Amino acid sequence: MENKKIIEMKKIYKSFPGVKALKNVEFNVNKNEIVGLVGENGAGKSTLMKIIIGLYKEDSGIIKINGKESKIRNPKKAAENGVGMLFQESSLIYNFTIAENIFLCHEHEFNYRFFLPKKEMLEESKKLLEKVGLTAYPDTIISNLSRSSQQMVEIARLLWLSKISSVGNPVLIFDEPTTVLLSEEIEQLFKISKNLKKEASIIFISHRLDEVFNLSDRIVVLKDGENVGNFGVNDIKQENLEQLMVGHELARDHFLEKDQIESDSDKEEVIQIIKMEKKGKFKPISFSIKKGEILGLSGASGSGKEEICKCIMGITKKDRGKLKLTGKEIEINSPRDAVQYGIGYVPIDRRNEGLSLQLDVLSNITLLVLERLLNRFRIINLKEEKKLALNLVKELFIKTPSLYTAVSTISGGNQQKIILAKWLAKNVKVLILNHPTRGIDVGSKQEIYKRIRQLAKGGMAIILISDTLEENIGLSNRILVFRDGKQKAEIECKKGSKPIPADIIGYMI
Amino acid sequence: MKKEEKNQRKKESYSFKKLPIIYLPIILLFVIILVFYIGNQSFLSLYNLKTIGNTASIILSVSLGQFFVLLIGSIDLSVGGIMSLVSVVYLITLGKFGIFGFPITLIIAGLAGLVNGIIYTKFKIPSFITTLATGGIFVSITYLISKAPIAASFSIMKYLEIINGSILNINGSLIIVTLLAFLYFIIQKYSYLGRILFSIGSNEKMSWMSGIDLDKMKIYAFILSGLGSGISGIILASNLYSGSAILGEFYVLESIAAVVVGGTALSGGCGSVLNTIVGALLMSVIKNGMTVIGINVYAQQAFLGVIIIGAVAITLDRGKVIVVK
Repeated sequence: MENKKIIEMKKIYKSFPGVKALKNVEFNVNKNEIVGLVGENGAGKSTLMKIIIGLYKEDSGIIKINGKESKIRNPKKAAENGVGMLFQESSLIYNFTIAENIFLCHEHEFNYRFFLPKKEMLEESKKLLEKVGLTAYPDTIISNLSRSSQQMVEIARLLWLSKISSVGNPVLIFDEPTTVLLSEEIEQLFKISKNLKKEASIIFISHRLDEVFNLSDRIVVLKDGENVGNFGVNDIKQENLEQLMVGHELARDHFLEKDQIESDSDKEEVIQIIKMEKKGKFKPISFSIKKGEILGLSGASGSGKEEICKCIMGITKKDRGKLKLTGKEIEINSPRDAVQYGIGYVPIDRRNEGLSLQLDVLSNITLLVLERLLNRFRIINLKEEKKLALNLVKELFIKTPSLYTAVSTISGGNQQKIILAKWLAKNVKVLILNHPTRGIDVGSKQEIYKRIRQLAKGGMAIILISDTLEENIGLSNRILVFRDGKQKAEIECKKGSKPIPADIIGYMI
Repeated sequence: MKKEEKNQRKKESYSFKKLPIIYLPIILLFVIILVFYIGNQSFLSLYNLKTIGNTASIILSVSLGQFFVLLIGSIDLSVGGIMSLVSVVYLITLGKFGIFGFPITLIIAGLAGLVNGIIYTKFKIPSFITTLATGGIFVSITYLISKAPIAASFSIMKYLEIINGSILNINGSLIIVTLLAFLYFIIQKYSYLGRILFSIGSNEKMSWMSGIDLDKMKIYAFILSGLGSGISGIILASNLYSGSAILGEFYVLESIAAVVVGGTALSGGCGSVLNTIVGALLMSVIKNGMTVIGINVYAQQAFLGVIIIGAVAITLDRGKVIVVK
C-alpha cells in the first residue's frame, strides 16, 4: 500500500499551434507524497497540470486515477476525483466571506430548504480552517485576508471538495504558491503541507529549488516538454538539478555569439536610466545601454526586472528617477511618450498586448507608421504601405500566406516576428524584449535570435528579459541580476567568455 | 509512431479563414427582395423604390455613424436624441440663416458627438451610460427649444426641396447619403483614423501600449456618429416638414440593428461601411416590403424581430469573435 499510485500519466502528448508542449511525458503521484515538479518556463509544467485538472485535453496518452483510466474534461470532474489546483492567481471571490467561498456552488451538500444554513456552514468551515492552520473567523470577507491566508482558504476548499466526493487521498496541485508569500508565510505553508501529507498528496511547483528540496519527497524534472529526470530528494544535488533544468553546455553557436557586437567604451550611450525607483517594486537603479548592445535583466519573478521595463515604457509610472535618451533628458508618462521618443516594447503576453489577432498581417506591421504613409490628402498610400510591409516580411522571414491573412491563424514564432517588424518599421532606438521566445518552439527561437542580433547590428539598444538564463547569457553583452527589487550583480558576457547559469543563479536566490 | 507524427503534422497546418464575408448579407438582401417581388410585383415599381430609397437614406446615415462607434466596441444610444435636436435646430436655423442652416445644424450635431466622446473618454464612463444620459439631455434641450413640434414655414420650403426633390429620378436624400457613405468609406478604408479605430476595436490594450492616442481617436468616432445622426435628422425633418423631440426615438435601436445585421460584431474590431450599407438596406427593404405584400401591421414588429435574429445568425462572422455578449 505504501507506494500506491494515485495519479498515473503515461505517454502524454500535447501540442499548441506551432509548439509541441508535451512529448511522451510520464508523471506519477503516489499516496501521501509530495512531488516537486521543476523545469524552466515553457518546459510544460503548467500544461501538464492543466491536463490533470481538465482545463486542457491531451492529444494522446493514458491517465489513470486511483488505478482507473479516466477522462477528466473539466475542473469539476477533477474535483470529484479528488484533484484540485491552487492557481498562481487567486480563484476566490473577493467580496464573499471565507465560508461562502469554501462552499461556493456546493451549498446543496447541506440539507436546507430555502435559506442557507449559515450556522452549519460556519461550523464546518471552522473545522476545515483548523486543518490548514488559519485562525481567521469564517465570516471574514476574503479581501481582508493576506495572500497567504487566502491560499489557506483555497486549500480548505480543495479539501472540502474531495471530502464531499469521498475521495480517500486527494491530490493538491500547488502552482508556484510561494512567489506571492513572505518568508514566514512560506514556512507556514510548508508546515501545513507536511501536515496534509498524512491524508493527501501534493504536487509542488516552484522555481525556487531550495524550497523544492526542502518540501518534496521526489522531484520530477521537465525540459522542453520532455521528462529529463525523476529523483528521490536524497538522490540528487541542487547543482545537478540546475544543470538538468537549464540544459547542458550551450551549443556553440545557438545564440549566434559571433554576431555579438562588443560595446566599446567609446560607443554612444543610447539610453541612460538614472536612479529610477518604484516603491514596493524596485529600489533606485541606474544603468545605461550603448548602441548595438543587448542588456539582459535576470532575476526570479517578483525581483523587479519586469517592473523596470514597464516603467521605462511608461506602462506603469515610476516614483522617481530620470531617463536620458542620447544624452537628452526625457519625461515618460505613458507608452505614447515612450513610442514618440523611439522606445519600443515587445510584451510577454503576445496575444493580448502585442497584436490585433483579428486584423491582417499588413495592418499589424504598419500600425505605427501610418502617419508617415499619408499623402497630401491625408489618405494612406496603399502601394507604399504594401511595399513597406512586404520588405519587412522578407527581411524578417515572416512566413505568411499573404499580407492579408489574419494574424490569429499564424504560428507563434511568426506572430512574434510581426511584432518585431512593427517596431522595426517605426525605427525605434531602444527595444525592450519581454520574454521574446515564450511559447515558441526551438526552430522559431533560433529565427528570433537571428532577428535580435540583426536589430542590434542595426544600432538598436536592446533590453532583454528571457525565459531562460541560457538564452539571456547567450544573447546579452551584459546581465544585471536582481533580487527583491535590488540589483545584486552586473555580469559581463563577452564573446567567448560567457558565464555559466550557475554563476548567476547564485545572485538570484 | 508514424501515425502519431502524421497527426502532429496535421495539427500544425493552419486553416485559413477568408477575410470579411460581405457576400452573405448581400445574398440575403437579394433573396428578400426576390421574395417581396414575388409577393407583390409593384414592390419594384419606381415609386416604391423611391420610397425605399428615402427610408434607407435615413437609416443608413445614422447607421454609418453608429458603425464607427461599434467598431471600437462602444455604443452610441444618443443618436435618437441628436436626430430630434437636429430636426428642430435645422428648421429654425433654416428660417433664420437660410442656406447656412445646413452647416450650422451639422456643426451642432458634430458638437453633440464631441460631448459624448469627451464624457466617455475623459471621465471614463462607459459609453452605454454616457450616451444613455446625453441622449436624454439632447431630448430635453429639444423640448426647451420648442415644447410642441414645429412645422416648416413656407419660406424654407425651397431648402427642404433640395432634399425631398429628385434629380434624374434619384432622391436628393439618397444623393446626400451616398456622398456621406463614400466619405465614410474613405475614412474607414484609407485614412489613418479608420485604421486606428480598427486597431482599438480589436485590441485596445495593444493599441495603448503601442502609443496610440486612444482618447482622441475615440472622440473622433463619436463625432462621426454625431454627424451621421445629424444628416439623418435633417432628412427626416425635411420629409416630415416638421421637427420634434420624439422624432429620433426609434432610430437608436434600428441603427444598431442595421450595423449588426450587416455583419459587424458589437465587440468591435470588424465590419465595414459596405457591410453597414447592406445592413441598412436590408432593414429598410424588409420594413417596406412587409407593408407592400400586406403583412398585418401589428405582426410586422414580430416579423422584423425574427428576420433580424435570423440575419445576424447567418451574417455575423463568428470566426473572429471570441466572446459574444
